[in-house]
Amino acid sequence: MKKVAIIAQTKEGQLSETSIQLLSFLSSFSPESILLLAVGEVKFSAVPSSKSVEVITLSEGLWADSSSIEPLAEILEGFTVFGIKSIQVDNLLSLLAASSSQEMISGVQQLTYSAGKFTISKSIFSGKASLTVTSESASYFSLNRNFDFSGNAAYGDQSISSVSTLTNASGSKASILALKPITGAIPLPDAALVVGAGRGLKDPGNWTIVEDLAKALGAATACSKPVSDLNWRPHHEHVGQTGVKISPNLYIACGISGAIQHLAGVNGSRIVVVINNDPEAPFFKHADYGIVGDVNDILPRLTKKLQSH
Amino acid sequence: MKILVCISCVPDTTSKIAIDPSTSQISSQGLTFIVGPYDDYALSRAIELKESNGAEVIVLHVGGSESEALIRKCLALGADSAVRVDGNPTTSAQIANAIVSYVKQNPMDLILMGKESIDYNSGIVHGLVAGALGYTHFNPVMHLDVAGDGLKLEVEMDGGKMEVSCPLPAVLGCQEPIAEWKIPSMRGIMTARTKEIVVLPLETTSQIQIVKAEIAETARKNKMIKAEDAEQLIDLLRTETNVL
Repeated sequence: MKKVAIIAQTKEGQLSETSIQLLSFLSSFSPESILLLAVGEVKFSAVPSSKSVEVITLSEGLWADSSSIEPLAEILEGFTVFGIKSIQVDNLLSLLAASSSQEMISGVQQLTYSAGKFTISKSIFSGKASLTVTSESASYFSLNRNFDFSGNAAYGDQSISSVSTLTNASGSKASILALKPITGAIPLPDAALVVGAGRGLKDPGNWTIVEDLAKALGAATACSKPVSDLNWRPHHEHVGQTGVKISPNLYIACGISGAIQHLAGVNGSRIVVVINNDPEAPFFKHADYGIVGDVNDILPRLTKKLQSH
Repeated sequence: MKILVCISCVPDTTSKIAIDPSTSQISSQGLTFIVGPYDDYALSRAIELKESNGAEVIVLHVGGSESEALIRKCLALGADSAVRVDGNPTTSAQIANAIVSYVKQNPMDLILMGKESIDYNSGIVHGLVAGALGYTHFNPVMHLDVAGDGLKLEVEMDGGKMEVSCPLPAVLGCQEPIAEWKIPSMRGIMTARTKEIVVLPLETTSQIQIVKAEIAETARKNKMIKAEDAEQLIDLLRTETNVL
């Protein structure tokens, strides 16, 4: 197997939990040291790994064309490169793959490597099916957020061997006019717990009961498409076929009937709870736990129960 | 401005997916195909740009002749001409390279497509095309306006959005609310009949081998809790499933 590189995103200078898992996973079959490309600041000095780890920090800003990614593509020549699926990671990996004439596989759900060959199971049709493919030559892989790392061996911390910075300043002809980060809320795509609500809430003013429950759980809030179309909730909260696809440990759907387009965005959830006053709501067929009842009654009671202990 | 809109033809969202046991692949039997919903947004915006700023809009699809009715629909919506790269591509690279070879012969100012196709969900064809051509790349784009010699875009990113100034040529993955879906007019349907669909051979290959497709069965517990006992849910989430 070729040398392994990882594109990892950092938050407040630390590696994300999934990036640490990915590093442990790959260190078990990497032939030698691992190259960790960190997007954003690096404040850590050791990472759990069985191989030595070299870190290159990628400067913030746009990596949006071949001239800006060229220095990075040169460094990655001869590497197999992995990342955890996100908008920016997939964009960067696909640009790098094509600029070096390599193939890329995204949406990887399972991955094994033996006898010079990768065997990959990839999630397709919004999680309704999976596709098994093999490749000897693909060099770029984007793994789903809910990739199963449960078989990972536990490695001790390995000091990182060197840190250098790579900037993209040389190239990009595009420029950022304004950044509009979402503040004050848990970002939906990464959230482990999500509370979603739909038209069953009847009025945008009723969302406090959803927000209170989400706060008591430490969950992100989501909504169905009709709700974002009505401008009751911001577009970035829309979960479904044409919105955000989520794969949290827990998804609580309140007043959402369960249209197939909505299910396509939440199929990846580990546990699904459905609360709806219509016992015929199709969503109940896709629920682990269902409660037929009025959200205005049920949600505050759940919040109270969570707050009580 | 010359705009290429790349479309996927995919089973309708409500389709029940089944496996053809003889090939171990997704069976196309009984499925209704549509133009990929994200691609439809991209096409709608291209047609709006044609109407507001003047542009030539070409639709490209990589696939078999069964897709011609859907390509014809894109022409009815207002695309000027269409190209079908004839074949049965199995990977993103194969599709991307087919687009790249067409664009190398027929340079474009702007290449638009959906952020992903809703069947194989790879979401990387636009990035691959941009990487191979050396064009500027943004994805997923929620607003697109012409500004001077380039574009002004609103792009979603992890944890927020950004506004960018984007030079041409560019390859963009699109998502709502970039435009409203359109319905073809009677006049559009009539004129589409005489518009040209150029058919080219698919000459690109891929080193990735497809082994088999399987239906993912997510077994759900389907346990109902009475409304009066709703609080029990919290206990079950804590003890039975350990998600809290």
